[in-house]
Amino acid sequence: MIRGKRGREEIGWRRSRGTGEMSDLDRQIEQLKRCEPLKESEVKALCLKAMEILVEESNVQRVDAPVTVRSPLMDPFFSAFPPFPSAISLPRNVCSVLVRLPPICSEICGDIHGQFYDMKELFKVGGDCPKTNYLFLGDFVDRGFYSVETFLLLLALKVRYPDRITLIRGNHESRQITQVYGFYDECLRKYGSVNVWRYCTDIFDYLSLSALIENKIFSVHGGLSPAITTLDQIRTIDRKQEVPHDGAMCDLLWSDPEDVDGWGLSPRGAGYLFGGNVVTSFNHSNNIDYICRAHQLVMEGYKWMFNNQIVTVWSAPNYCYRCGNVAAILVLDENLNQQFTVFEAAPHESRGVPSKKPAPDYFL
Amino acid sequence: MGAQGKPSSSLNSLLVKVYRLIDEGKWDDQGTGHVRIDYPEGSEDLSLIVEEEENENLIVHRISASEIYRRQEDTIISWRDSKLATDLALSFQEATGCSFIWDQISEVQRNLHFSNLAGKLVTVEILIVTTWYSLVSPNGAKNLIPLGGGQSVYQFAGGPGFDHPSLIVEEEEDNGNFLVNCKSDLLRRDDSFHNINSELRDLPSVELSSLPFILKIVVESGITDQLRIAELILQDQEFFPKLIDLFRMCEKVKNMDGLHMIFRLVKAIFCLNSPQVFDRIFGEEYVLDIIGSLEYDPELPQVQRHRAFLKEHVVFKEAIPIKDSSVLSKIHQTYRVAYVKDVILARVLDEATIASLSSIIHGNNSFVISLLKDDTSFIQELFARMRSTSTSAESKRVLVLFLHEFCNLSKSLQPVQQLRLFRDLAAEGIFDIVTDALQSQDRKLVSAGTDILILFLNLDPSLLRTYVIQQEANSLLGLLVEGMISNFTEDMHCQFLEIIRILVDSHNASGLQRDAIIDIFYEKHLNRLIDVLASSCRTRNNSATISRSVTSCGGVESHAVTKPEILSNICDLLCYCVVQHPYKIKCNFLMNNAMEKVLFLTNRRERFLVVAAVRFIRTVISRNDEHLLRHIVKNNLLKPIIEAFIKNGDRYNMLHSGVLELLEYIRKENLKILVIYVVECFWEQLLKFQHLGIIQALKIKYEQCLEKSEVNNTNTAVDSRKRIEERTLEKEEEDYFNEDSDEDSGAQHMHNQHAHATMPNGTKVNCSSRSGSVGLVDYEDDEDDDDYNPPPRKSEPSMDNDDDDGFPKIKRKSSTTVSLKDEKLLVTKKQKLEVRINDGEDSSVASTCGNHDSPCKSEPLHDSPSQLDSNGRPDESDIGGESANPQIHRLSDASDTGQSSRDDCPSVPHNNPSPKRVVNDKNISGSEPFSVR
Repeated sequence: MIRGKRGREEIGWRRSRGTGEMSDLDRQIEQLKRCEPLKESEVKALCLKAMEILVEESNVQRVDAPVTVRSPLMDPFFSAFPPFPSAISLPRNVCSVLVRLPPICSEICGDIHGQFYDMKELFKVGGDCPKTNYLFLGDFVDRGFYSVETFLLLLALKVRYPDRITLIRGNHESRQITQVYGFYDECLRKYGSVNVWRYCTDIFDYLSLSALIENKIFSVHGGLSPAITTLDQIRTIDRKQEVPHDGAMCDLLWSDPEDVDGWGLSPRGAGYLFGGNVVTSFNHSNNIDYICRAHQLVMEGYKWMFNNQIVTVWSAPNYCYRCGNVAAILVLDENLNQQFTVFEAAPHESRGVPSKKPAPDYFL
Repeated sequence: MGAQGKPSSSLNSLLVKVYRLIDEGKWDDQGTGHVRIDYPEGSEDLSLIVEEEENENLIVHRISASEIYRRQEDTIISWRDSKLATDLALSFQEATGCSFIWDQISEVQRNLHFSNLAGKLVTVEILIVTTWYSLVSPNGAKNLIPLGGGQSVYQFAGGPGFDHPSLIVEEEEDNGNFLVNCKSDLLRRDDSFHNINSELRDLPSVELSSLPFILKIVVESGITDQLRIAELILQDQEFFPKLIDLFRMCEKVKNMDGLHMIFRLVKAIFCLNSPQVFDRIFGEEYVLDIIGSLEYDPELPQVQRHRAFLKEHVVFKEAIPIKDSSVLSKIHQTYRVAYVKDVILARVLDEATIASLSSIIHGNNSFVISLLKDDTSFIQELFARMRSTSTSAESKRVLVLFLHEFCNLSKSLQPVQQLRLFRDLAAEGIFDIVTDALQSQDRKLVSAGTDILILFLNLDPSLLRTYVIQQEANSLLGLLVEGMISNFTEDMHCQFLEIIRILVDSHNASGLQRDAIIDIFYEKHLNRLIDVLASSCRTRNNSATISRSVTSCGGVESHAVTKPEILSNICDLLCYCVVQHPYKIKCNFLMNNAMEKVLFLTNRRERFLVVAAVRFIRTVISRNDEHLLRHIVKNNLLKPIIEAFIKNGDRYNMLHSGVLELLEYIRKENLKILVIYVVECFWEQLLKFQHLGIIQALKIKYEQCLEKSEVNNTNTAVDSRKRIEERTLEKEEEDYFNEDSDEDSGAQHMHNQHAHATMPNGTKVNCSSRSGSVGLVDYEDDEDDDDYNPPPRKSEPSMDNDDDDGFPKIKRKSSTTVSLKDEKLLVTKKQKLEVRINDGEDSSVASTCGNHDSPCKSEPLHDSPSQLDSNGRPDESDIGGESANPQIHRLSDASDTGQSSRDDCPSVPHNNPSPKRVVNDKNISGSEPFSVR
């Protein structure tokens, strides 16, 4: 009897919490879209929710290309309704899978300004999140002024629309790297403590390592690993850890394609360089069309290599605010036809002023 | 310098004769013309041009940085022209013209040295044109204003009058046109107009009308000019007062254009990045107006309210009155600098400027802290007030918060100074205050307390360690542990976790303190944490069927719900402990069944907790410690893991990968005992995952193990030490059986299975005699769940009754055991274990965990005195198998000072000078379980 009662109560409680959470989440997403960071306690709660979702994802996360083409007629349908909770499965008529690299990337450069606004630019050219499937190839943080807002927005979208957005891990999603390249300092500056950094880096450990689109396109942040010849070998990686200094998990996040024969030492000090023949045999043995990766600045936004067996996609326009590069997203339709959408950095005017004022010091 | 300043500049002054050196040192007159420095058509290089009357150029010479120009007498400039491969000379009609051009050339060269300041060259051109027309000679004033027209023309302005008015402009232009042109020119010629001449002696007086020009000068100054402009601004004592007057006026009449322009000017002045200018701007006198001017950002839709924020929102409080006014003003200034840097101009400033502002802040902080720190009366008053009973709770709160910020700011000090300060604070009793703060119901206070501790720990953990050890009842450590698991402190779990980690970190400190603190932690607190885990994960409790209970968590009604993140934190901490204190943790785990309790996490609904449990057991296994591995086998600890894996089914998630990785590790590291255990116990369940390479590989490894052990068995030339060890083990096992054969329901199997006792080694006859295939076939065939499920249920009632003492779970262990008919060994052993504990010392084990720990913990290797007695074997034989043991022996023989880098072992001599005696005193047959190897 007691048990039954408790049970009912619990259901009721859950339900109310459920709707409350959803609207909370929507509010947070709106707030983040304005580039206003969340409160520390909200970050913690968000990370916990994200953890529950991400823990269910595979090391090679499957992403479906759309099954139906979105026709223009469908647009009113979308606009007429508020965004659906992810549990309700919308017709998968979303036209594209956008593969992009995050706003801030891993090239060793100086500083980057306002990449959050460039990400908003990306959403502008690519379409809003629940309407379009997104796959982000890692490196969400560091170097920019808005790493916190950028990552939290992506994470909030992930929690809100788990099936619509996939986040995989880049080499900057690491405790060590973020302490050097800005995310750590940014958290400290914006929150006065590093708790948010702790929450975020903890969630980094849960991010998937790669994605496979319709069994045909293998996506990963860095590249291949000599320890991985088949996709199934990725299965045995226990990814809940700091990015190690070597081994398969490290290589996936750090390697670069290069005109070498077989494998070469990477100048980055982690991962490998891998040549065209490596890619050919990998693609062949896994029956995939090509590999899509990020990790290297490409001035044109994207770059094919090795006879269209691997493509690098770069989505941080004017990287470090001075590289002068354009960014690209790879758009896939339901037949996996690819098309690159190139875009530039957000116009200056659209950048907001940091809304956060430093908390008045109590005494000093 | 500053030819433009010479009042006598005239048309004729730039009239030159051009000579060219021909053979034998003769100078050949090439003609007469006016000289100027300009861009030749179609060229970007600034050149010296001599033009004859009809626009015929006599010379076009590109001024290069490397050319050596000479000035002879007062009127001749000569150089070697590399292009013409000859020497050229200009003979000026007037010395003033010569000086003027000479200065220009020098300037151009200087600029060329500073890379490509092309814009500067334009400036020069303009000046020359100016001179050419002899436009102006304001008496003594040298301010420049660009004139409009097809060419950029500057005029001297700002002086009280023009001495040569007729020459100012071409006839058709009057003053009005001129200004208009000037403005349009400003807008239009951005590209060609980069730099303002640093010959500039003064800025125009600040007025609304001159603002555009000043703005232009400041905005477009190149790197080299920035210094100069900063200098000018500083020279002009009236600059800021006038600017501020102007700002106030504009604000009053709401002249938005003016305000926007002032905003841009002030912004540009910030970007000059001049420390002296910052000094002035941030002075009390100007700062609020300067900040006010920054409210009018033309790029923002509405006016900001920075001043209002600073005035109304930011209330500077004083916990203790600060008497020194310089300290106070630095405090205020620091805040404003930070506000400008982090808020108002956060997007605008470049890195260098941000660094300058940061260093101002840093310097100020260090100044403030140093003064306060050296003011002993200040510190004493602070602590006196905090200790005083008459101080109200509210002001105590303020004092703690102040102390927090004070400590925080001390990061600006040199580390040595900071350390000195912290020592002083510690001596004054700051940790007592923190201890109080941590017990507060005010989250902010608790948070301040934890932050203070972290600051201390980051600087030097020994201060806090010393305190914790000496503190009566070690209440601070207890508070920290409670903080980690209390829902009240939820926002600070991270901090608590961090503090405990640093405190028990065995690497970053040395000596007695560290060991003492680790001992305290293990004796008093570890079990508490583990109990939290265990009691939050009660499951499988009431049903006789296997309720694999992803759902049944929280089955114990009375227990408060512990948040999953707390459980996750505890699990992380335990993993950390496993890595940091392999020995300590070993005893503890072996004795208290801690591992089993941690594995209750596999029953939680939250998958990340299940994953955390897998991670935990993986960490334990990676210690590669025989005792622990055998303990795992004996207690069937992988069962919950495998069950979770099976239950997870085909879902390819982190649990799936984590368990596969665990199995792969076992295989790769060739942990025979586990390979055999896993395959023999769980093969049937794993069968359906046979398609996975890892599972197959594990099976193959298993078969290899069996083969090898067979070989080993028949091989008489086995390492003798190993044999001894095995025999010891065998003995040990036998002891178990002999001692308490009178037991529990499952016990009857034990003798049958006795032969398997050494199976964990993978070296036993019996084990190998059951060929792998047979075993497997057996499992498949004769499995009936009924058979192995019942024992678990049995023990449950008792378990439920006493959640809070860790002991009953030991009993429950039997409940988790699933043993196959042919695999009773595990059950047997476990039951034996349980029996002993129950028999021997039920209550004492449960209630005196701490005491109980100590012998075991401190002397893990000598943990089986009974074995010694009964076997009469020296410990060493047993120990031989474990590499670390000899060292421990050595250490335990050594004196108290025998600290070493070993994680835990130093505590052995330290705490228990005669561990053996202790063990013997306490020696109870029932306590033997932890001798289990």
